Amino acid sequence: MSDALSAGTASGKSRARASRFAERSAAILGDIWPPVVVLVALLGFWEWACMAFAVKPYVLPAPSAIWEAATSGFGQLMYNAGITAWEALAGFVIGSAMGAVIGTAFAYSRFMARGFMPLLIAANTIPTVAIAPIIIIWFGHGIGSKIAVTAFLSFFPLALNMMKGLQSYDRVVADVFRISAASPAQTFFKMRLPTAMPYVFVGLKLNVTFSVIGAIVAEFIQADRGLGFVIMTTYRTMAMPKLWAAMILSALLGIVFFLIVAALERLFVPWHASMEPGR
Amino acid sequence: MAEPLSIAVEIRRLSLTYGRQGSQVHALSDVDLTIPTGGFVSLIGPSGCGKSTLLRILGDLLDPGAGEVRINGKSPKAERLDRRIGFVFQEAALLDWRTIIENVALPLELHGSPRAKREARAQELLDLVGLKGFERARPRQLSGGMRQRAAIARALSTKPDLLLLDEPFGALDQITRDRLNMELAHIHEVTGVTVVLVTHSIREAVLLSDRIVVMTPRPGRIESIIENDLPRPRSLETRALPLFEDLVRQGNLELEKGYSHV
Repeated sequence: MSDALSAGTASGKSRARASRFAERSAAILGDIWPPVVVLVALLGFWEWACMAFAVKPYVLPAPSAIWEAATSGFGQLMYNAGITAWEALAGFVIGSAMGAVIGTAFAYSRFMARGFMPLLIAANTIPTVAIAPIIIIWFGHGIGSKIAVTAFLSFFPLALNMMKGLQSYDRVVADVFRISAASPAQTFFKMRLPTAMPYVFVGLKLNVTFSVIGAIVAEFIQADRGLGFVIMTTYRTMAMPKLWAAMILSALLGIVFFLIVAALERLFVPWHASMEPGR
Repeated sequence: MAEPLSIAVEIRRLSLTYGRQGSQVHALSDVDLTIPTGGFVSLIGPSGCGKSTLLRILGDLLDPGAGEVRINGKSPKAERLDRRIGFVFQEAALLDWRTIIENVALPLELHGSPRAKREARAQELLDLVGLKGFERARPRQLSGGMRQRAAIARALSTKPDLLLLDEPFGALDQITRDRLNMELAHIHEVTGVTVVLVTHSIREAVLLSDRIVVMTPRPGRIESIIENDLPRPRSLETRALPLFEDLVRQGNLELEKGYSHV
């Protein structure tokens, strides 16, 4: 290949890369602007409606009032959000780990699945507000009981998805592993677990949203800190803008957690059909 | 074929019945078959004749019922655990999360072979099956024919003595099928591996094998064995020889006999 030609292809390549980058940014922008436009329009309408109809702040505070409440007590709000985030995260990790172990046991043992599944379904149908006082009595008044409630709420989706995922392997691929005299451990780590990963992420995405709900509900029952505690105390004093700020913050917490799990999914299962562009 | 008289596969009075008493299905009944080392045998017959069952027993994916099966003098299980058997299925059955070279190297990886060594071997095989340049591609990016080539390369990775193929080209278009037939003939020649091919196509069986085993269903058994003396190496031009058409006619006749039992 001559120098001129290779130089030509090199600059062609960088041009192609540049246009790919432009395409990608355009695609990302295309994904982002519709929700941004909707959000800005909604906030504008909300602000305007509160002013125009003189809505009482305790019925519906204007966005500016919520912003005001959030910024004036910013440090305190962030501290409490941090507590809730920690409870949700620890509960999510413990609950998901339990769910993964239980789901794996169910996938490998028909007896375990048949025997324990009704119990698990029953446990999962218990309202969190009903079980939370019991867990608080068992685990004390500190952060530990909030983590336990969160863990209790966020293990079931992963247990179910783990079981389903581990059972969803291709039977012909299983024959390939058998012909190759693979050990049970190799079959688990190199075939069944990778096949289960898309299912695992469905479970984790459900768990991570439940974990924030679990932490806040537990704080409702009994707590001296956390976003649930802020919501409870501001409700008692009718400091509604601050309650709204805490509520929005808890939703943001859930969204951030969800996005982190979604990013991990892109990292770990980029090969899955659902990850192809246009899906 | 170093020793033309050594025996790769020996099957004696093999029978297999599925199901409970009253509703039994005789998948295989009294099958006798001997395959010399380096031989190429095709199993052909209608659905339910037991050809795939027989292949799965050879690969130790299915336990034999009654009778004896020996591969190089040992049981199919011993041969499988020794990684002496390669198996290609109708679907490529590649792992979507691995690149093509990682898929081809999988059996060696499971065997504990170091990365550099197994990737060198996989590269050799990718060259052999015509997949050079697709090492880092994902299975999803390849056509059905290319995926099947990768599956053949994977089956050959452990240098097996016995290559079992269960309708490997059944899902491919005719042109791709012709090309892969020739690849398989080439692989058989250069590696000297003993091949057992299950197929629905009498022309494919005649083109590739030394011996065509015609099977019939209910119960699954061997109807007849056609010796195929077409010259080697085989090519697509082999199909123009008068003997080729004679053998196809003979094969179809034997298959008809099988259907008349149905």
